[in-house]
Amino acid sequence: MALGLAVVLCLASGYLISAIGTPHNSLKVSNLLLRISLSPGYGLGLFSLIFFGARVICLSNVLLPDFFIFALLLAGYILIRPRTPVCEPQPSEKSSRPVWLSRLVTAAFVIALCAALYASILRTLIHPHGEGWDAFSIWNLHARFLFRGGSAWRDGFSPLIPWSHPDYPLLIPAAIAHFWTTLGRESQVVPALIGLVFTFSTVGVLFSSLAILRGRFAAMLGTLTLSATPFFIETGTSQYADVPLSFFYLAAISLLCLNDHERRQTSSSNPKGPLALAGLAAGLAAWTKNEGALFLCALLAGWILTSVGRSRSQSSTAEDISPPRTRGNSFLFLLAGMVPVILVVVWFKHSIAPSGDLFLDKWMALHKLMDPNRYRIILEWYGKDFLRFGNWSLIPGTIAVAVLYFLSGKNEKIECKRGFRIAVITLALTLAGYFAIYVITPYDLYWHLRFSLNRLFLQLWPSVIFLFFLKVFHSREEICTL
Amino acid sequence: MRASSTSRGTSARTTAAVVIFVACCLLSTIRLIRDAPNPFHLKVDDISQRSDQRFAALQKTLPNPGVLGYIGESGNSALPDYYLAQYALAPRVIDHSPNHPLVIGNFPSSRPALPAGNLKLIQDFGNGVLLFANQDSN
Repeated sequence: MALGLAVVLCLASGYLISAIGTPHNSLKVSNLLLRISLSPGYGLGLFSLIFFGARVICLSNVLLPDFFIFALLLAGYILIRPRTPVCEPQPSEKSSRPVWLSRLVTAAFVIALCAALYASILRTLIHPHGEGWDAFSIWNLHARFLFRGGSAWRDGFSPLIPWSHPDYPLLIPAAIAHFWTTLGRESQVVPALIGLVFTFSTVGVLFSSLAILRGRFAAMLGTLTLSATPFFIETGTSQYADVPLSFFYLAAISLLCLNDHERRQTSSSNPKGPLALAGLAAGLAAWTKNEGALFLCALLAGWILTSVGRSRSQSSTAEDISPPRTRGNSFLFLLAGMVPVILVVVWFKHSIAPSGDLFLDKWMALHKLMDPNRYRIILEWYGKDFLRFGNWSLIPGTIAVAVLYFLSGKNEKIECKRGFRIAVITLALTLAGYFAIYVITPYDLYWHLRFSLNRLFLQLWPSVIFLFFLKVFHSREEICTL
Repeated sequence: MRASSTSRGTSARTTAAVVIFVACCLLSTIRLIRDAPNPFHLKVDDISQRSDQRFAALQKTLPNPGVLGYIGESGNSALPDYYLAQYALAPRVIDHSPNHPLVIGNFPSSRPALPAGNLKLIQDFGNGVLLFANQDSN
């Protein structure tokens, strides 16, 4: 009963956060699906923050703050929602593409989605404790420290057990511990379900955001690409944090692009909700895994770089008509979404977590930066894993995507929108940051690459698919010519 | 006319690209189904559950928070055994060292070796789980 209530509160709070931030004057199914897909991620993020806060102030009853936050969100939603939802005209998707092609893509999409669901459920059933070491040696172990530890919960972040990565942030462990606390006991179902939920929420965000921006055909192709990536399904059900991280990356990037779309749709006002949600997603990425902090910095750098580039070029295109003050306001909304979570992450890193293992010996790191051989090795591995990280069958998904790009003839130069440019820069900087970490890693380079590079690529994969299909189908009208 | 045939050519090429792409994705989907566990012979991997059960009796005996030492088997399974012991015994911190007043012995697949002179057996909990006192560490 209490667990059911906690689940409802978690999903409802997540939904309210999504609904406050996404366009609420629309009755479109894709918009509703986007909100539903975003809700588990935001809900779990919120629940982890509530639990962490409750632990810090030694509050044992977590349902009370759950209710309080939910009531606040509900009040906020009621205050800002429009009285009468506007029924937007559905953009027509009539096209010259053959009917059989649409049916083929629909059938493949349904098959891939069902196969992903089938494999995920069976894998979860036989590995309820997660597959591999990360689930029990990092995330569920931290959840046990938070749940069982009482006032001594900080012992879980002891430098005596460095292999458990006590410096890793707590979104997943604290969300698990929150549900265990509500339930009154540990249950392996909780982390297993969280793994499943994040996997399919990522699929849902990809489908719905592509459907809003590029139509159902592009959305089905994008979702097919992700569902047919075996490594994505395997990692998601293994209770690793890489898929939740990929969820927040995708949420941040798709909301940035949706913000551009909304600015075009609403002539009277400049919507900021999606920006605040994008900022919150980036903040929650930093609260999920250390790589998320790198992504957050990359996002801020991407925003600043595009702003500087635009100011210099002084080219005012249709999308760039906003005055500098409005652009400054946009940045503030992005920051407003991420700052509360950043404060929690900074406090955790400063007051609880020991130093990370990557930056312990700064002189050695500097020495490694000067070694060109390390760069060559990492580049080689980047090249190899680009083709194999998804565990695809016969033809790598990355090659299939490249073939689609070159054969589809959509390689003419197109003016890209700002959100798209920021997203591309963010992913490129994140990838470069991963590269730099490998250069200075204190571990054996081959070992580190072997056991982590495929998961780092996987973190970016849903966002790459999203941006790829945004580019290939560069307008809704474009779909009609396919 | 020429423009029309070019457009038709592009469209045919794009259609071909989509068909090839869908075929590639479906190949991987087949792999996903093929590699999925057999629903009629589900063999649940309960390694951490079994580990929790092995340490259940010891768990009840130990003081709740605190740091404990650890000795265990050598070989390939040494590290997973240690991680599983820590997972089972949380919220105590298990340091992989005998230099603590209380030391856990974890020998799941072999007879426990005779501990070094400074370790005195307090209790054998069965299944290769032992609790030692380190007489040198106070």
